[in-house]
Amino acid sequence: MEFKDYYRTLGIDKTASADDIKKAYRKLARKYHPDVSKEPDAEARMQEVNEANAVLSDPEKRALYDQVGSGQQAGQPFRPPPDWDAGFEFPGGGADSGDFFENLFGRGRSGRAGQFRMRGEDRHARIRIDLRDAYDGASRTISLRRPQADGQGRVVLQEHTLNVRIPKGVKEGQQIRLGGQGDPGIGGGPAGDLYLEIRFTPDPRYRIDGRDVYETVPVTPWEAALGGPIDTPTPSGPVTLQVPAGSQAGRKLRLKGRGIPGDPPGDLYVVLEVVLPPADSDSARRLYETMAREMAFDPRRTTGA
Amino acid sequence: MTHDDILTGALLDDVCLTVDELAQACATEPRWIIERVEAGYLCGEPSQPPTQWRFASAELLRARRLVVTERDFDANPELAALVVDLIEEVHQLRHRLHAAGA
Repeated sequence: MEFKDYYRTLGIDKTASADDIKKAYRKLARKYHPDVSKEPDAEARMQEVNEANAVLSDPEKRALYDQVGSGQQAGQPFRPPPDWDAGFEFPGGGADSGDFFENLFGRGRSGRAGQFRMRGEDRHARIRIDLRDAYDGASRTISLRRPQADGQGRVVLQEHTLNVRIPKGVKEGQQIRLGGQGDPGIGGGPAGDLYLEIRFTPDPRYRIDGRDVYETVPVTPWEAALGGPIDTPTPSGPVTLQVPAGSQAGRKLRLKGRGIPGDPPGDLYVVLEVVLPPADSDSARRLYETMAREMAFDPRRTTGA
Repeated sequence: MTHDDILTGALLDDVCLTVDELAQACATEPRWIIERVEAGYLCGEPSQPPTQWRFASAELLRARRLVVTERDFDANPELAALVVDLIEEVHQLRHRLHAAGA
């Protein structure tokens, strides 16, 4: 276990007052706000900031941390001094003091177990899936750290691996609730639940709106003008699609029911993107010149130019 | 349970949360949820009594954002709701920007 310097995480000194801690925390909570921050590692940083704040903003936990942490350097292997916990009555169920603190101090003592029963807290995690997984369903393995009782009746954080079924037809932002997979209860109370929020891995080919999926497909000018069948990949496999004659760039072709499955299923919209062949050879240039000469076409005629 | 078992959860929206379950999921009290609903901060104002209320994925996410905003910044509920409205709007606009190919 490495020593974590919570003071450094919050950018404050060891003599900081409760008010300084609160100020430093708020400043960082704004900077690394997971919904707003543009910092690349905002979510991870916010977790560290929350962990540091949960300990330092609680006078009892802070005193314990200060006693154990004196003389330690961040990142160094850490061994608690003997009798580090003498004289402290540490309350159970600390909300979100972090991994390091809870590994060190546990989450409450066995002596309290008989005194009350409490349901474990619900936990939340985000899970990223591919669009394809929403079409077919899938299973995902996720690792979470959660508190478990060790031999001495102390609660320590342990890696907990779960295999979770991702149901077919799931949408971005939907939550999957796994009963009893949250924190264990205290004093024989039931475990909390685990909520998984679904996010799609960004895929440059597809844009998703609820159950509808949008896909841009490049076509040649003659395919757009004359129409005809084109082959295109879709999330549910390749399809042959009839491009109507006289299509312009941006035309949307709806493939009903080929969006994310459900009741009703979403639709797949193929958006045509007309790509011009480069005029990079004499023959290509001649073809463009022929069109310029023979086609009476002025796209700016109606723009008043 | 062994680690090799595949867990099948309930998809919220197929199954919805009660006031107590939502409060539990947000580590808050049922009273907190009821006050935020009645004030219109969490969702549209319901016509039924709280025992009949049901919440889905979107309200769970919103409720958690409200809890965190109130707690982290000592924000009053009105201000937290305003912040969360803005966060939701930013998300929608980012989504539209992405859909427009930006």
